[in-house]
Amino acid sequence: MPLFFVLLLAASLFFGVGVAKASTNCENNTDCIEVGRWDIGLALGYGMKSNPLKDFDDIPIYAVPTLAYYGESWFFDNGNIGYTLAEGENFTINLITTFSNDSAFFHRWDPSNIFLLSGDNTQSAIAPMASTMKAFDTPDERAIGELKNRNFTYLGGAEAFIYTRFGIVHASLAHDILDVHGGFESRLKWFYNIPLDRWNFEFAAVLDWKSEEVVDYYYGVRPSESFYWSQAYQAESALNKSIEFTGQYVLTKNWNLLLVARYTDIADEIAESPLLDKGYTTTYFVSAAYRF
Amino acid sequence: MLSKSKLLFLPLLLSLLLSASAIAENTTEEPVPEPKLTLSPEICITSADQETCDIEVTLNWQAETNKTVCIISDYKDLNKWCSSSPNIHSFSVNISATRDIQFVMIDKDTHETIAGVKLKVTQASPPQVRRRYRNPWSLF
Repeated sequence: MPLFFVLLLAASLFFGVGVAKASTNCENNTDCIEVGRWDIGLALGYGMKSNPLKDFDDIPIYAVPTLAYYGESWFFDNGNIGYTLAEGENFTINLITTFSNDSAFFHRWDPSNIFLLSGDNTQSAIAPMASTMKAFDTPDERAIGELKNRNFTYLGGAEAFIYTRFGIVHASLAHDILDVHGGFESRLKWFYNIPLDRWNFEFAAVLDWKSEEVVDYYYGVRPSESFYWSQAYQAESALNKSIEFTGQYVLTKNWNLLLVARYTDIADEIAESPLLDKGYTTTYFVSAAYRF
Repeated sequence: MLSKSKLLFLPLLLSLLLSASAIAENTTEEPVPEPKLTLSPEICITSADQETCDIEVTLNWQAETNKTVCIISDYKDLNKWCSSSPNIHSFSVNISATRDIQFVMIDKDTHETIAGVKLKVTQASPPQVRRRYRNPWSLF
């Protein structure tokens, strides 16, 4: 995956480097943003993010805020900070910081979940004090004790967008910059927008690659949690596959109806972890969204 | 015989007389007024939302008083307007346009072009936008 990213980056550079005021096609209010103005919005509705971790609660979604600010080159977009190195009509290259979404399964108030506000604080994604893996025929050595913290971390790296008539290709490579796990994450995403009058449909297919360090940190088992599983489960790099759909209906200048759905097929290398009891995760959210 | 000093004085006197007559000629000549056509306002700025300029403009001219003039333009609703009297020196018209309009004043009788002026239709600068790299409603 990193090799693919490098090739993609090289291809982008081939088109010509230099920050340019690219002619953008703003077909709807999600494609473009006004420079120098905060974009603030709030979507209220109902949804659910399933938690593949055993004994961990699913994460209900009642509100999704959005907060973004784009300057000439710098931008802040829902927790991501970026700097545009080069942009042309057909490509963009950014330096970015982003964050891992794996820690969100372990901590309800992980920054990855800030944009998923639950109305019920008692429904925490944090597991009970101890998660057990007991079965009728398993000895106690297979029991998993209280989990150590799986901390949130920021990732820093680069991303490239290639804009084609067949959709947009987004590739990114980022490294843990807070030295929490010291791993890499890479993403390759293709998405396609279909604006139809007041409707806008976005379809996306995503490949999320996580290095062995990432998988081991979040889904590996520490010897203090279970010596047996720390030996029996050996983390490897993994590739999650997702499909996403975002549908929007423009009611007024400020109000939209919104439907977001995502299905992620969790890589076998992660799903085999004893911390998980599902090999997939789903997210959906139906709401009315207001943009200030 | 004329003395040397008189020889010097005569050309000087002659040149003074010549220049004086030239000044007299200039002061007696009537200044010719430049045919002037003015427009108020000269620029119409449309908003980012509304591309059409809807405005009343007034044309004023101070051409020779003995001429009756016509105004012609490339505005679709005003191909030609002619004054009924040489004493009329202004004309107002409502404009609804998306592009510049050229007005030309001509002599009604001879069709000689006297003056011209342009109404500039300019759109207010739209806010600068750039690509947004994240779906605002993406769920992490």
